Amino acid sequence: MDRNARQDMTRHAEGGARHHTDSPDHTVDPITLEIISNALRSITDETFVALMKSAYSTNIKERRDHSTAIMDASGRLIVQAAQALPIHIASMSGLIACLLEKFAGDIHDGDLFIANDPHTAGGTHLPDINYAMPVFVEGALFGFIANLAHHADVGGMAPGSMAGGMREIYQEGLRIPVVRLFRRGELQRDIMDLLLLNVRVPEERRGDHYAQIAACRLGARRLLEVVDLYSADVIRAAFDEIVSRTERRLRDAIAEVPDGEYAFEDVMDGDGVDTVDIPIRLKVTVAGDRAHFDFAGTSPQVRGNVNVTMNATQAAVCYALKAMLDPEVPNNQGVLAVADIDAEPGTLVNGRFPAPVASRAHTCQRIIDVVLGAFRDALPDRIIGAANGANTTAVFSGTDPRTGNSYLYLETLGGGMGGRATKDGKDGVQVHITNTSNLPVEAIEQEYPLRVEEYSLVEDSGGAGRHRGGMGLRRVVRPIGHDCIFNGVGERFRHRPWGVFGGEPGASGRFLLRDAGGGETKLPDKCGERRLARTEAVVVETPGAGGYGIPAERDSAHVAADRGSGKFTEGYVARYYGGDS
Amino acid sequence: MDASQQGFRIGVDIGGTFTDFHVLDEATGAVYTGKRPSTPDNPARAIIEGLRALATWHGIDLGALRRLSHGTTVGTNALIQRRGGRVAMITTRGFRDLLEIGRQTRPHMYSLVEDHPPPLVERRHRFEIGERMDAAGEVVTELADDDVAAAVEQARTSGAEACAVCLLFAFRNPEHERRIAAALRAALPQVSVCTSFEVQPEFREYERFSTTVLNAYLQPVLGRYLATLEKGVAEVAPGAVIGINQSSGGLMSPERARALPVRTALSGPAAGAVGAAYSAKRSGRRNVITLDMGGTSADVALIRDFQADISFERDVAGFSVRLPAVDIETVGAGGGSIAWFDRDGLLKVGPASAGADPGPACYGRGGRAPTVTDANLVLGRLAGRGLLDGAMALDESLARDAFAPVAERLGFDVERTAHGVLGIVVANMVRAIRTISVERGYDPRGFTLMPFGGAGPLHARDVAIALGMREILVPAAPGILCAQGLIVSDLKEDFVAGECIPADAAGLRRLAGQVESLAARARAWFDAERIPVPNRRLELAVDARYVGQNFELTVPLAAEGGAEPGGPVGTSARIETAGDSGNASPAEAADPDRAARVSGIVPQGEAGEPAIAENAGAVGRAEASISTGSPAADAPIPMPIPSPEALRERFLAVHEAVYGYANPHDPIEIVNVRLTARGRLLDEPDLPASGAPEPLLEPLPEPIEHRTVRFSPGDPITCPVYHRASLRSGHSLTGPAIVEQLDSTTPIFPRDAAVVDHAGNLVIRVGAGGDDQ
Repeated sequence: MDRNARQDMTRHAEGGARHHTDSPDHTVDPITLEIISNALRSITDETFVALMKSAYSTNIKERRDHSTAIMDASGRLIVQAAQALPIHIASMSGLIACLLEKFAGDIHDGDLFIANDPHTAGGTHLPDINYAMPVFVEGALFGFIANLAHHADVGGMAPGSMAGGMREIYQEGLRIPVVRLFRRGELQRDIMDLLLLNVRVPEERRGDHYAQIAACRLGARRLLEVVDLYSADVIRAAFDEIVSRTERRLRDAIAEVPDGEYAFEDVMDGDGVDTVDIPIRLKVTVAGDRAHFDFAGTSPQVRGNVNVTMNATQAAVCYALKAMLDPEVPNNQGVLAVADIDAEPGTLVNGRFPAPVASRAHTCQRIIDVVLGAFRDALPDRIIGAANGANTTAVFSGTDPRTGNSYLYLETLGGGMGGRATKDGKDGVQVHITNTSNLPVEAIEQEYPLRVEEYSLVEDSGGAGRHRGGMGLRRVVRPIGHDCIFNGVGERFRHRPWGVFGGEPGASGRFLLRDAGGGETKLPDKCGERRLARTEAVVVETPGAGGYGIPAERDSAHVAADRGSGKFTEGYVARYYGGDS
Repeated sequence: MDASQQGFRIGVDIGGTFTDFHVLDEATGAVYTGKRPSTPDNPARAIIEGLRALATWHGIDLGALRRLSHGTTVGTNALIQRRGGRVAMITTRGFRDLLEIGRQTRPHMYSLVEDHPPPLVERRHRFEIGERMDAAGEVVTELADDDVAAAVEQARTSGAEACAVCLLFAFRNPEHERRIAAALRAALPQVSVCTSFEVQPEFREYERFSTTVLNAYLQPVLGRYLATLEKGVAEVAPGAVIGINQSSGGLMSPERARALPVRTALSGPAAGAVGAAYSAKRSGRRNVITLDMGGTSADVALIRDFQADISFERDVAGFSVRLPAVDIETVGAGGGSIAWFDRDGLLKVGPASAGADPGPACYGRGGRAPTVTDANLVLGRLAGRGLLDGAMALDESLARDAFAPVAERLGFDVERTAHGVLGIVVANMVRAIRTISVERGYDPRGFTLMPFGGAGPLHARDVAIALGMREILVPAAPGILCAQGLIVSDLKEDFVAGECIPADAAGLRRLAGQVESLAARARAWFDAERIPVPNRRLELAVDARYVGQNFELTVPLAAEGGAEPGGPVGTSARIETAGDSGNASPAEAADPDRAARVSGIVPQGEAGEPAIAENAGAVGRAEASISTGSPAADAPIPMPIPSPEALRERFLAVHEAVYGYANPHDPIEIVNVRLTARGRLLDEPDLPASGAPEPLLEPLPEPIEHRTVRFSPGDPITCPVYHRASLRSGHSLTGPAIVEQLDSTTPIFPRDAAVVDHAGNLVIRVGAGGDDQ
């Protein structure tokens, strides 16, 4: 059940080079194309801001965990908002593909479709709810306005729908296949009622839905304005040009990569249930302007919720390609078309029903490390050492003794970025698939009965190298005047982030319990609910990152700076760089 | 005001290439302008030389110079070039890395090499000290005198020229910062010391610390500069009081600038917005979008009800600054912006710029890259003889040579290519304007476009068309609007108190206490700056949010003070403000980030400003009623505190306007109290008395030439070229035509109509010229 074309084992160059202009003599010169692209980018940016402003969820307002896009009538991604997170690139087109298959010939002006399911509707995890609104020009389907937003809750066994320990998709929340929420302009109240009955704080979620609906309508209006200005044929020709030029641009970049087979392998620490040392294997074959990614040998899917659907794997691979080859390339189908991926259904990187997927971000981070690692000999100047490879999550909850109200403080912490060809990896930063802000200490302490006792870089955590890896973060948190509950999810807490070209690995991360006397004991890496007494504190240390190049080649001024800054101990400097530089 | 006190006032704006002067004769209202080449090694030199030159050119008695208002980029440049002082930092134990971690984000989502800039204080010069306050400002860990002494010693041995004291929750209880600062000042008198509670006492430690460190970094540089400037000005104009422009669009004294140099960091474009707001007011245009286009970039800003919007979150050279600043969007689109092909073959323009040197190809200084200025020359929109002073001729053949390879690759002729390049640069500016208008809920079609800067008027018409705007207002002196803005600026000081206060009856009593203490500080400041009572004005706003939310909105509460027209000296006025009036919708009147506003001059209906008084009905912003208080000479300005219900209503209106919804019943809390004090400086009759455009005195002047211009890619049109100075109030013309002036060129497109209004602005109405010409 629940299987459809999107779960095929392969994800080949779909759609990218397709040309289907009605009147082939409509060509768009590079100047007009730039101006039209500009107008289309304005639409996705305007709808991005509109959605952010009118939504309720903190994830959307504060962390900008949402995205807006324009697709053409065949479902190709044409433009995505500039600020969208990398993980979102594939899931909106995933929805449209499912929509076109399921509702072929039955799509009408005024319809509005919604979905979130990773296994049947192109999603990557349930809290990301996708919307798509068809846009019609002179009675014919012209394209889609789509958006995605991470709702603060979609039901399921735990508030926030993201907790560790979930073993099947049903525990993670309400599954929404592609359904028609508006039929020819009419809201299907039954469906909205069903959606809201299954989530926590339904009034707020209603607000998130309305924000998404409004953003769709705004986008459709704006797209029609652009069509009015240039004609449908010209815009369709521009869609073709945008996609094919992007694909060409990225393929040209691939053509500069030496042909050959490149392989890499890494392991995830565990799924938090019963599987440890989960391998991700990749073989990349570069031939001319083609790159083929084969994940054969990767672990079967696991019981814990670190599985990844094909769309998320595709997003991770596309991110890595862009980061290595051309960070400025626009996000559209041309990028997706270049990522030619084979991954067996039922594996960690192409999870099949009923695989739970809520913590997919950890695995996506690791897929990116593996892709970068595979290209180490092909693109030695473009790749970096392994980064902290995680989305380290720490959650504190309890009852505020001042008010009697319950509280929940959740934060994801960055860590080290890998050493680079030209410079050290950045210390204490979000990497790759995520780029969300921290919460200020003064905000945490005003809001929650907690005290942050330290927020710092972890000494000696960056792997040594010609260019050293970045350092992990340390945050020490103590409950004030009450006992509370801690839970956390860590990755690279056992397997250290590797260095490249002789660079040393960075330090792994860990959760520690600090008792009243200052003694410290290690907590599990995927730490379920742990009671924390008012005399105790939790120390969160995130992983550092791997170095680049052999330590002996490190510039002596940089070694002196490592020591002088106090980021590294005398012992560490002596061990890796010799005692007296 | 006593006539014997009248004299001159001068605004000086320093740009990368030119230092602009704008002189106002207070007695006659006459205005003089001037330009000198900037002297980047010592910017004060151009000022002093310029003052002397003005005295010679216009017979100005520098002894009668009363005020010199100055916008300086010394601080901004020091940041960009990393040439500030050596800084040490003293911070709470456990947090010395905070400055480096920032918000743990990277600046570019897909780039593996771009980083936020490294902190301005090296890690080894960030010293931790044992102390801690909690969120309520209660001491958790006492500060020990021995530790203070040790920290002072560390600062001394670091060799720092400036020291920033940045402690957690110092905005709630500054006691520990005060003690450390006092010890530093006593032991190290040559070191500049600043504390986070003085620079910006608001919560969010990274932004506060970053702003404080930036301030410390700039103190030595700005201190030296101000000393040079004050000495030079004292020699040539001993009676002149110096005012330094702030990022929020008001002036401060050199003493304040020395203590808070970071307030100048974003001041560059602020004066332009103030000047634009002033010009808009003189023309009776409430809602204006400004387009300040220079050589490398274009700044756009939104002016509503004669005031520029303010934002609190900006960054300078990659560093976070949390201080009020005019809300300006900058895009890399200027006359020097270079056209190039991206990797996917699309043609792009900017952000790379040929700058002033070598400059566009047509400058003939060795530049080979095709730029926007070259495109304008190819199309005949710019004259080959250069601008009116003729000092710099432009070589069209060099411009054509630069465009030839681009044209060849496109398969177009050079003219069509040049036209395309202008289309792209316009699209880039349109996007920036959409950001500050459409994306914030304002429809640009209801606004007038005001282009200035050297290149703004050249492209305004294309921008207006793309946004559906019907009216363009080119100010009389578009090249020196910033210098003009300085003359009309208020003296301004922002006071803020960071305290989390529930918005209930008890909370509002606490708020009243906060407001009273801020108002006392404001009064002391007014006295110190010798602002006469009628010229004092206070604006109260709070940053509020739903309890538990992580973002707050600025809610304007009250504005008090300012003069009643013709009222006796010492009268204090009581003004009901925003939201009480039918004039503006509540959503418009109460607007976040926009609570504090910049205006050229303080309220409407000033005596001696007949042009504005006449429009009082339309002009009167949200103020509905003015009631006179007791005429005591130094009566404190009353500052009413709203009821919890009234506060809630205003917060909901702001929330609705910004986020599109509001929860009427959720609890609200206040996190910052903001009191802005303005001292009005320009209180004499300064404007030429005038009303509607004067009747046409004479037919249009003779054009200075006719030339062939391509308004569209296809058909060249021969049209007249007028000298702006020869166009008088009431003159009108119909396109096609070109209007040239000292430093700017304005094309009047076919079928557009233009008229010079009473204030000397050139007002273009798109499509209003019919087709009878």
